[in-house]
Amino acid sequence: MSVDSVSRRSFLKRSFAVSAVAPLARVRTPASAQGRPLAPRAALTLTVNGESHRVDVEDHWTLVEVLRDELGLTGTKIGCDRGECGACTVLLDGLPVYGCSQLALWADGRAVTTVEGLAAGETLDPLQQAFIDGDGPQCGFCTSGQLMAAKALVTANPNPSRDEVRQALTGNICRCSNYNRYVAAVMSRPTARATERDPMTTVGRAVPRVDALERVTGRAQYTGDIRLPDMLYARVLRSPHPHARISRLDTSAARDLVGVTAIITRENCDVIWSSGDRSHVRYLFNNPVRFVGDAVAAVAAVDRHTAEAAIRAIVVEYERLDFVLDQEAALERGAPSIHPGGNLAVRGDGARAPEVYERGDVDEGFAASDLIVEDTYVSKHHSNAQMEPRVTVARWVGTELTVWTPTQGIYNCRRDLAHDLGLSPERVRVVCQYMGGGFGNKNQAQDSDLIAAVLALDTRRPVKLEYTRKEDSLGVHGRWPTTQHYRIGVTRDGRLQAIDLRGYSGMGPHRKSSGGIAGIELFRCANVRRHVYPVFTNMTVAANFRGPAYPQGVWGIESVMDTIAHELGIDPVRFHLQNLTREYNDATPYTSWALEECVTRGAARFEWANRWRRAGSDTGRVRRGVGMAVGMFAARLGRSSAVLRMQDGHLWLHIGVTDIGTGTKTAMAQIAAETMGMDLADVTVVWGDTDRAPYSVGESGSRTTTHTGQAIVEAAEDLRRQIIRLDGLVGRRTLIAQATPEPTLDGMARYASAAHFVEVEVDTELGGIRVLHYIAMHESGRIINPLTAESQVKGGVTMGLGMALHEELVYDQATGVPVNPGYYGAKVMTHLDAPQIEVHFIEPDDLFGPYGAKNVGEPPIIPVVAAVGNAVFNATGRRIKELPMSRDRVLEALA
Amino acid sequence: MRRFTSVSAASPIDAAVRLDAEGRRAVVVGGGSDLLGMIKDDLVAPRVMINLRSIGGLDEVRVGDGRGVVRIGGLVTLSALAAHSLIAATYRAIAEAAGSAATPQIRNVATLAGNLCQRPWCWYYRQRLPCFKHGGNRCFSRAGQNQFNAIFGGGPSYIVHPSDTAPALVALGASFRIVGPSGGRTVPASEFFTLPSVDVSRENVLEANELLTEVELPPAPAGLRSTYAKVLDREAWTHAVVSVAVSLVMGNDVVQRAAVVLGGVAPIPWPLPAVAELLVGERVTETLAVEAGRLAVTSAEPLAKNGYKVTLTENLVRHTLLSLTD
Repeated sequence: MSVDSVSRRSFLKRSFAVSAVAPLARVRTPASAQGRPLAPRAALTLTVNGESHRVDVEDHWTLVEVLRDELGLTGTKIGCDRGECGACTVLLDGLPVYGCSQLALWADGRAVTTVEGLAAGETLDPLQQAFIDGDGPQCGFCTSGQLMAAKALVTANPNPSRDEVRQALTGNICRCSNYNRYVAAVMSRPTARATERDPMTTVGRAVPRVDALERVTGRAQYTGDIRLPDMLYARVLRSPHPHARISRLDTSAARDLVGVTAIITRENCDVIWSSGDRSHVRYLFNNPVRFVGDAVAAVAAVDRHTAEAAIRAIVVEYERLDFVLDQEAALERGAPSIHPGGNLAVRGDGARAPEVYERGDVDEGFAASDLIVEDTYVSKHHSNAQMEPRVTVARWVGTELTVWTPTQGIYNCRRDLAHDLGLSPERVRVVCQYMGGGFGNKNQAQDSDLIAAVLALDTRRPVKLEYTRKEDSLGVHGRWPTTQHYRIGVTRDGRLQAIDLRGYSGMGPHRKSSGGIAGIELFRCANVRRHVYPVFTNMTVAANFRGPAYPQGVWGIESVMDTIAHELGIDPVRFHLQNLTREYNDATPYTSWALEECVTRGAARFEWANRWRRAGSDTGRVRRGVGMAVGMFAARLGRSSAVLRMQDGHLWLHIGVTDIGTGTKTAMAQIAAETMGMDLADVTVVWGDTDRAPYSVGESGSRTTTHTGQAIVEAAEDLRRQIIRLDGLVGRRTLIAQATPEPTLDGMARYASAAHFVEVEVDTELGGIRVLHYIAMHESGRIINPLTAESQVKGGVTMGLGMALHEELVYDQATGVPVNPGYYGAKVMTHLDAPQIEVHFIEPDDLFGPYGAKNVGEPPIIPVVAAVGNAVFNATGRRIKELPMSRDRVLEALA
Repeated sequence: MRRFTSVSAASPIDAAVRLDAEGRRAVVVGGGSDLLGMIKDDLVAPRVMINLRSIGGLDEVRVGDGRGVVRIGGLVTLSALAAHSLIAATYRAIAEAAGSAATPQIRNVATLAGNLCQRPWCWYYRQRLPCFKHGGNRCFSRAGQNQFNAIFGGGPSYIVHPSDTAPALVALGASFRIVGPSGGRTVPASEFFTLPSVDVSRENVLEANELLTEVELPPAPAGLRSTYAKVLDREAWTHAVVSVAVSLVMGNDVVQRAAVVLGGVAPIPWPLPAVAELLVGERVTETLAVEAGRLAVTSAEPLAKNGYKVTLTENLVRHTLLSLTD
């Protein structure tokens, strides 16, 4: 309670004593009854889902705005608002169009069909049923758009081919990357079962998501769909410079705009966003600004257009400072210092030094080596790009705050909000019912949550803060870029002798996450040295994105291992079997271990022995090659709670999860039903609200199934004992059981593992890489729901392919400006980019976790980039050492 | 999005008169999918939006006047164009270009005129850096992230023309009908587009008070074959890294007339007259195609990061020529 508490006090002093301290913005008399400024208005007639509506619109309102805000049809989503993602797809006179790219005016007199118009009463459209049965929606944010594009297709062509479906839906991005599922669903062809183990009564069964109906009908309410009476809209002004001191900030013109109710800046708000930086004080608004997209001010106004106008009216003068983008250059002598003390992040022990892991003696290992390979791999900033941009709704009642926000953890969000606002946690309620993905960038309290809360307090009105897609790309965070220098020594017969990694991770100017580079632990080796430098740069902030430290690290080390195998003339599968980890870091036994089986069974299924040839042996224009790589991810155990309430034969399962799209609610309901011996239909999940459900760990680190699932098992066992004590004569009683177990691993390590095999085709003349065949062999303990688990794997692999092949946030080196934020520029995977992914699960017994379940969310993305890189090498004999493996780099490597 | 007033035009002349009256404060809109995004991103800030959809007759493909001339209204959508039986059968390159642009949702609203008149998709322009195209005095791509920028005809701006239909129309000898406040004019497609060295502020010859209303295709000679091929950096919804439209008039298996026009490599659709000349009088063989590919790139001037586009161009020209002999 030192620096932080002083700042919090000054915030409180100002904000809770509104009468004593004049807020920066005056609340002006609104120019119309609704508080909206006057603007040209037109009355138009829209026929929506067969019903005629007279609507007054302003000329510049888009169709999707009118559908959502004026008609309350919130099933249609806004993912990018630029015609780049497809979430807003509706039918206009039967043709799919982007609702964000049409003015409402242009729909005057025309027929609009939205997702709400697909079902006839309670009778679903066959496509909706197929989407439920085939597990189309994961997070569900893109689902209505996919449905509308599919509806137009099947109306014109009832039996489309796979390619016709992909063509017709290719304007609809799914960042959960459930492309295979959507295509199969449109063709009414669900895919085969991915696991061979016999299911239990409910656990292990491929049942549709318990909330699939809400997700295919548009009924699921996401944060952006919430509209409270008297609600204001907020927008954030962001820095156009990578590093600059704000010398003047003039909000007077913005303040004078009719409809503007509050403006906050560094000058009148010193709230600290504690989860925005582990190592420095990070205010909501900072001076100097340290990256393009750094928040400078926020405005609340009566509608979003007025808030945007106010943002434009704020005058900011910047004194530009030198900046640095590259993580290695940032540590060079003379590099601009982003924080006092330098650009290397301080370690947990207070030392300004790299994170070090060592065992054995690498010098001895190199001395004993017959072959030493040295190589450098460079990975790039990769955007999470979840479909739902950041949005928060905040409302105060007295001194109690409610925040609706898409968060991966309602409890860690509440903890952080309470801390940063100086409130006791009981006075903060966090609600997240449905959310449109996150993949790691919606954990903890976000700055949007705090900004909305402060604006709502200043104005005493509910505030909705919406980020644009570009703001989400630049102002939140993506995967950290790395530079990895490897030196690895091996004997002639392929036994590893020494692994040395010196790695640099570019964290942007704030350290929200570890910045590690993982992958070395996949291999057995007596002598290991890993020095990783988490470095501050003036790129956008980088932090957790699915399997945070792994995909880039595994790409690096698996590429070097593949090079070694090639140099020694050893088949990569054999090389792996010879060198794979047997104990974590050669020291800690695993609870169960199937990495080797993943490799052997994956190789058999892939027919590796028939497909693999020595690298570069294919000739001709289009060359085929195969590659493989492995991955692991910790399946931790830990504390979460569950409350089970049973009444009249029905079970209410209160759990503080949020279901980011992983299928958590379904898996949790299955675990409860299994333990209770009940039907799944008799279980209702109560979730996503700190007032209604107890602590859950948060949907990060792939932990929910093990943490919360174990709490459910223990609470359900308690409930069963209660029933037994009553000899089953429960009557009208309400029985309640709760559990908060804190299981431990007894000194063991618990990991999910995977081996991926891929065949690619490289066009040596046009530089294209095409994935022909992909097998993902996974061990995640017992699979609770093979349907949703397989979707997770398909999605993770597809996302990894984007990272491998074309996704990258590119920075202009001269100005420090990112030049391609968004779905179009960053080239996020589309239907046409996504190949078929074949998924298999190996299910060993594991004595820990609920029914032996481990985790599924993060492992699938881990080996992908490495496997593809190795396949490209196998096809061409050339290795691409900088991501992504785009045409320019392929052609350069082949030149 | 900034507020503006929408007005509906009664005719092309009416739209031009309104443009003339409003000056730079006005824009015309057809499909609007790109324009609305540009307004949201503050790339343009119109006070008045002149809606052309209210004009009748511009959304049709007409085969007129007995001479076989085909007139495509400027408001014909890309999806309608791609699906049009005559266009697909006779002027295949146009159907292929229109049918492969962007996504189905965009093709359903995007108009031919809009596709031809779209502003650059250069990263720097779209991020609103103060480049030539925004009235500034430099091209950020020249020494910057220029992997998608021009290898031909660049300077002082190195944008590439993003249209798919433009190279196809130039290759097929189209003409564009332009309407201004005091009447119309027709210019050949090959003379419509403007190099930055001529005027860096614009991409075509349209004056601020003019609009493109119609595309006219000459009658298709017997033996006409055409195709449009492009290389993308993902499989959908991106602009061509390199594209090529090829139009050949064949007689007795020999090329009688030829046009080869590149897209995505220059600030305008980039014609290759020397390649066309090489082809005339010849059978299209592997050897000839190799020679054509080589000739296509002899004058290329790549920037630091787009040398690969030279290779791509050479190879794509060769492949595309050979695909027309299948």
